[in-house]
Amino acid sequence: MGINQRVFLPFLLVLTLLSAGQAFSRPYDELLASGFLRVGVYENFPPYSFKNADGEAVGIDVDIAQHIADEMGLELELFWMLPDEDLADDLRNYLWRGHVLDHDHKHERLSGKKVADVMLRVPYDRNFNYARGYIGQGVYAYQNDLIVMMMPYQRETWKLAHNSDRLEAARTLAVFQYHPIGVEMETVPAFMLTSVFNGNLRNQVRHFRSPAQAFQAMVEGEVTAVMAMRGELEWLLAQHASDSLKMGDTTFPAMGKQHWDIGIAVREADRQLGYHIEGILEPLVMSGEIASIFERYGVTWEVPAFYDF
Amino acid sequence: MKPSHGKYFAISALVAAMSLSWQAHAVTNDDLLQDHLTTDRIVTDGMGLQKQRYSPLTKLNTDNVKDLRPVWAFSFGGEKQRGQEAQPIIVDGVMYVSASYSRVFAVDARTGEELWEYNARLPDGIMPCCDVINRGVGVYDNLVIFGTLDARLVALDKDTGRVVWRKTVGDYQEGYSITAAPLIVNDKIITGVAGGEFGVVGKVEAYDAKTGNLLWTRPTVEGHMGYIWKDGQQVENGITGGEAGKTWPGDLWKTGGAATWLGGSYDPDTNLLFFGTGNPAPWNSHLRPGDNLYSSSRLALNPDTGEIVWSFQTTPNDGWDYDGVNEVISFDYEENGKTVKAVATADRNGFFYVLERESGDFIRGFPFVDKITWASGLDENGRPIFNDDNRPGNPAKTEGTQGQTVTTAPSFLGGKNWMPMAYSQETGLFYVPSNEWEMDIWNEDVTYRKGAAYLGAGFTIRPIHEDYIGVLRAIDPKTGEEVWRYNNYAPLWGGVMTTKSNLVFTGNPEGYLMAFDAKTGEMLYRFNTGSGIVGTPVTWEMDDEQYVSVVSGWGGAVPLWGGEVAQRVSNFNQGGSVFTFKLPKAYE
Repeated sequence: MGINQRVFLPFLLVLTLLSAGQAFSRPYDELLASGFLRVGVYENFPPYSFKNADGEAVGIDVDIAQHIADEMGLELELFWMLPDEDLADDLRNYLWRGHVLDHDHKHERLSGKKVADVMLRVPYDRNFNYARGYIGQGVYAYQNDLIVMMMPYQRETWKLAHNSDRLEAARTLAVFQYHPIGVEMETVPAFMLTSVFNGNLRNQVRHFRSPAQAFQAMVEGEVTAVMAMRGELEWLLAQHASDSLKMGDTTFPAMGKQHWDIGIAVREADRQLGYHIEGILEPLVMSGEIASIFERYGVTWEVPAFYDF
Repeated sequence: MKPSHGKYFAISALVAAMSLSWQAHAVTNDDLLQDHLTTDRIVTDGMGLQKQRYSPLTKLNTDNVKDLRPVWAFSFGGEKQRGQEAQPIIVDGVMYVSASYSRVFAVDARTGEELWEYNARLPDGIMPCCDVINRGVGVYDNLVIFGTLDARLVALDKDTGRVVWRKTVGDYQEGYSITAAPLIVNDKIITGVAGGEFGVVGKVEAYDAKTGNLLWTRPTVEGHMGYIWKDGQQVENGITGGEAGKTWPGDLWKTGGAATWLGGSYDPDTNLLFFGTGNPAPWNSHLRPGDNLYSSSRLALNPDTGEIVWSFQTTPNDGWDYDGVNEVISFDYEENGKTVKAVATADRNGFFYVLERESGDFIRGFPFVDKITWASGLDENGRPIFNDDNRPGNPAKTEGTQGQTVTTAPSFLGGKNWMPMAYSQETGLFYVPSNEWEMDIWNEDVTYRKGAAYLGAGFTIRPIHEDYIGVLRAIDPKTGEEVWRYNNYAPLWGGVMTTKSNLVFTGNPEGYLMAFDAKTGEMLYRFNTGSGIVGTPVTWEMDDEQYVSVVSGWGGAVPLWGGEVAQRVSNFNQGGSVFTFKLPKAYE
């Protein structure tokens, strides 16, 4: 049922055919006058955006969203997003077009579909934003030109945490020929660990639905290490105070992209809103003050490569 | 649910006032078993549990089909259009038909007037992979049963549309969904599940048709335990494939895919259910060396226990997204003076297979599309002989932002996709809706998933020919010979139906319902329904007249996948309606 798909040209076609599919709702002035800002954040995605035991929305992105809304003098309305197969899908479902099943927002937009004003935790990648895909007859068309990626606010990295009672240090990945390692399925760590060294680690890789489940398996001794994003691992380490669970400094030379920047996305037509938000976040990032938000969740803030000069 | 009470009560009063022949009688197991022989009703998806889609009716024939006329059309209404892939069901003068977004309609089959409709309330944020379609309902006793996009089975009262019971087959939050019509055998509803790339494991399950209680469940991936319910107790019923790890490395069997998204068929002779399974997960075949059973396979199951009686894998270690879900049709043929009890199936991978029905043994297989590049043929056991150059590369070995491009035919949408073929007992031929297209696949690292870098596969689908993609083929299952073909500009995505009077019906995305001479392939009739046809036609008899019905409404997976193929279909308009035809009275 679909190799992970990136080429979503048909939706561009739909857009062209049905002007109702376009998202020109909430121009800047109207947005400011409305009294609220709708921010897209991923559902159940600690430490970035999730609900705590009391049912309150918390997380790094939730706090950043709250800060933006406060600075704009607007109420924050969170738009919880379920991730689809890849980023292009999420941008379509939650930012520029709306979800195919949503027909209940006629009062907002001609298409009847709800979209966010701004989406957080969007990788900042010019190559992605300006990627072209072949659509036939010699034409290469822009594939993600309905949105703009802006304002990198964090650098994300793949990391490895391990149980030092069972494995003193994971200096190279070769030790995972002998130790089971947990990963979230369908992620780069899963791909990488099952394919490096001619697949020799394959039998030691344990797949889980989430990093939290993989981490729990490490706590229970089922796996020796977990590989996931730095933010996720630091959050989980902070939740499980233990002397034996440690963040490793293993490097992964076989991995294509080890670091990437995280920023925001707005619709192409809403650049003005994007600039406004840049005006709010950029001073925090340039001064490093944004790190205090990350610290609340036990996460180290790393300056985006964009600013690291 | 949106019951139109006022309308319903008015009509039920009318029904009561009318003749006894219109009085509803409950659909029995016997009715379901005899569906392929009866002409005044259609109570199964497939016009018979073996799914031959062959009608014994002959009133409509190659001479008079040119005079076929539409008698009514019915709109599904609302703004919810997109793909309409259902086959209508007809019981006692009432048509039950499902529509996009998990809707069901009951319509007066004589006039096209709505009796009731049911709109499933779908939760926010479900992620159907390939359009919001539904492929039809099942009927049993006084119930109309169908599966929803959020992976529930819903049983409705056939007279009122009110919910009698509702059961969850899979958790939609984990990626499960149902779009196929349920199969009903021996008082049981047998269903599979759809599910994307999110670590779903396929399964076939049986539910008590009256109560909706689960009776057995059979996972389709090696290593998972099956269960059966005895006196309300869940009892272990054997691990699928014996044990884990025989054909999968590491723990990948736990999230192995093999979704049973297209439902199944049943053969009363052998008392076997036939279900197909989807591709294995993850999509990168280099990560899972081995056959990855039972992905991309056909399974024969015991309907009483869910035990797998035999299996046949069409694409071992699939790396092209060649789901093995396509329908398995039971049929008998004569060879060397003996009757061979066989099944046939036309796979996404471009090969047509004829198997021994009781054992699953390979009898023969042959290409049914013009171009197959991923395999050079089949060996004596029906296993593909791979062309290693045509396996998409390992994304972990991608250098730069884009890996090497591999061009493969058929494309991942398949030589034939979900759209059911038909078998004529009269000509002994299969009528196969197929497509000639190929794909480029490459790996790329400039992609992301849920805030994380991701190794994606980019791909595009291309027509192989300038002037057509779709090919309706008449294929001889004994020889592999293509007896005739009809080339269609757009890809074919609708099912086929045939009659004893040598007619073959199907629809195309251009909107035409078409009738062909089953022997020659000559097109004898066509009518444009105003939107693309991706549903399956049926025919039945009512008041001594022969009717034909088909749903119209362009959509499904084709327009979702971009590339040059999307350009070819970009001008087709959406819709959502049922068209019903018959001959003018003058023929009586």
